[in-house]
Amino acid sequence: MGSLFSSLDSVANALQAFQRAIDVTQNNVTNANSPGYAKQVPVLESQDFQAAGGFNGGVFEQTQDTRNQYAETAVQQQQSLLGQFQQLQTALAPLQTTFDVSANSPIPAALNQLFQSFSQWSTQPTSSTYQNAVISAAQQTAAAVQQTASELSAIRTSIDSNIQSSVAQINQDAASIQAYNLAISKQGQPDAGLSAQLYSALEDLSTVAPVQLTTGVGNTVTVLLGGQTPLVIGTELHQIQAVNDTASNATNPGAPANIKIVDDKGTDITSQVTSGGLAGLLNVRNNLLPSLAGGGPQTGDLNTLAKGLADSVNNILAAGSTTLTPPYQSGSPLFTYDPTSPSAIASTLSVNSAITPSQLAAVQPGPPLVSNGVALQLAALNDPSNPQINGMTFSQFFGSMASRVGNAANSAQTGVTAQTQLVAQAHSLRQQVSGVSLDEEAVRLVQLQSSYQAASKVVTVVDQLTQAIMNMVQ
Amino acid sequence: MENATPHGDAQQCLRAARANMREIKRLVSQPSAESVDQAVAILRDVEVQLGCVAGLLQKSGNKPDLLIRTEAEDLQEEVAVLARFLAQADKMLAGWLQAVRTNRGGYTERGQAAPLVLVKKLTVEG
Repeated sequence: MGSLFSSLDSVANALQAFQRAIDVTQNNVTNANSPGYAKQVPVLESQDFQAAGGFNGGVFEQTQDTRNQYAETAVQQQQSLLGQFQQLQTALAPLQTTFDVSANSPIPAALNQLFQSFSQWSTQPTSSTYQNAVISAAQQTAAAVQQTASELSAIRTSIDSNIQSSVAQINQDAASIQAYNLAISKQGQPDAGLSAQLYSALEDLSTVAPVQLTTGVGNTVTVLLGGQTPLVIGTELHQIQAVNDTASNATNPGAPANIKIVDDKGTDITSQVTSGGLAGLLNVRNNLLPSLAGGGPQTGDLNTLAKGLADSVNNILAAGSTTLTPPYQSGSPLFTYDPTSPSAIASTLSVNSAITPSQLAAVQPGPPLVSNGVALQLAALNDPSNPQINGMTFSQFFGSMASRVGNAANSAQTGVTAQTQLVAQAHSLRQQVSGVSLDEEAVRLVQLQSSYQAASKVVTVVDQLTQAIMNMVQ
Repeated sequence: MENATPHGDAQQCLRAARANMREIKRLVSQPSAESVDQAVAILRDVEVQLGCVAGLLQKSGNKPDLLIRTEAEDLQEEVAVLARFLAQADKMLAGWLQAVRTNRGGYTERGQAAPLVLVKKLTVEG
C-alpha cells in the first residue's frame, strides 16, 4: 500500500508543480505592462527516486527571474543620460527667449537705437532734440540690460527650486528602495512583485541621477550615487541635500553662490552627479548661468557688457567739452552703476539721474578742436573695425552670448533625440537578452557593436561632406 | 539638364539624402546587426548623393543659395543626432560587454576584463 500512496503523492506533487507553472505564466501575462516587472520562468526538475523513504521521485518546481543585471544597468544609464538632456532642454528654453538674437529683442534693439542717436546727435551737436534722444536711448539701453539681468535672476530662482525638487525625488526614491529592503529582509526570499517595485523605483531614480545597484546580504540591495555615495545600504537610508557652496563666491562679492550636493555627512559629492536631470540642472546653474549673469567665481558676460558700455561712453564724454571755447567744461557721465559688486553691474546700470541735455559734451577740444568729435567717437563704438570687448563690438559681444545659449540648446536637443532612441534600443536589447546564455548575449553584443562602428565611420564622411556643401553655398 | 544627376538637381539630391537619413535613423534604433548593416548600405547612398550635390555646386560656381543651405543645415542636424546615437550606442555596448567579459572570464593580472573567448560548443547527451 505504501507504494500506492507514494505514487499518488508523487502524482499530486507533479500536478501541483504544473499548476504553479501555469500560475507563473498567468502572472507574466497579467504583469506584462507593469513597470519594472521581469518575466518569471518556471523551472521543472525531476526528483530522485528514494527507495528508503518509499518516495517515487516526482517533479519539483521553482521560479527563476529572467532579469539580466547588465541589461538593467544599460537601460538605467541611458535613462540617466536622457534625463540629463531633457532637463537641460527645459532649463535652456527660457534662456533662449532672453537671448534672442533678432533685432527686436531688448538689448540688440536698444543698442541699435543708442548708436543711431549718437549718429544723429553728431549732425547737430547743439540740438536739444537730439541730446534728449541720446538720453532717452541710454535709458532704454539701461532698462533692457536691467530687464535681462532680472530675467536671468528669475531663471536662477526657478532652477534652484527644480534642483531642490530633484534632490527631494532622489531621497523619496531611495526611501522606496529602503522599504523594499525592509520587506525583502522580512520575507527572506526573492519576490517578483517586490522586485518589479524595486526596478521601477530604480528607473525613476536614474532619470534624476546616476545610480548603481549591488545585491547584498539576504537579497537586499545597495544603491550608490555615482558609484560612490551610498543612498541605501540594506535598511539604512542616507539622504542627500542641495546647499549653497559659500566658498564658490568668496572672491566675488555680491555674486550668488553656486549650488553643491552634499551627502548626509556634509561631504561635497557634486562631482559624482555626472548624468540624470540633476546633472543637467547643476550644469546650467553652476556653469552656463554664472558665465552669463555672474555667480560663483565668475562676474558674467552681461556685467562685462554693461560695464564695458558704460565705461566707454562715460570716458569719451569725460574727455569732451560742453563749450567750444576755453575754459572747457568736461561732460557728465551718462551711465552709472554700482562698482562695488562686479556681478551686479547689469542689474544696477542706469542713466545718471542728474544729467541734463546741455551737460552732454559733444566737443572734442583737440587740438584740432572738433565741434562734434565726441558724438562721432560715440557713434563709432558700434563700428566692427573698432572692437570694444574681446575683439568684438557691444552688439557682437551680445551675439556671442546668445550663440553660446543657442549652441547649448541645440546640443541638448540633439542629445534628447539621440537618447530617446537609445533608451528605446536599450529596452529592446534588454528584452532580447532576457533568459539567453551569456555566450549568446556576448555574440549578439559583439556583432551589434561592430555594425555600429562601421556605421560611425561612414557617418564621419557624410558629416564632412555636409559641412563642405554648407561652405560652398555660404 | 546640365545641372542635374540621376538623383535630380542639388536640392532634390539633398532632400533624397534627408529621406534616407530618416530611414537610417529608424533602422539603427533596432538592435540587430542586420538592420544596422542595412543602414550602413543606405548611408553609402547618402554619401553618393552628397557627393553629387558637391559636384553640382562646384560646377555652378559655388553661388550662395539659401534653400540649399537650409536643407544642408537640417541634414547636418540629423547627422549630428545619428553620430551621437552611434557614439553612445558604442559606449553602451562596450560597457555591457566589459561586464559580460568580467563575469565570464574574470580579470587579467593587469586588472582589465579578461578577453572574451567564444567557442562553438557541441553537447552530446544520451
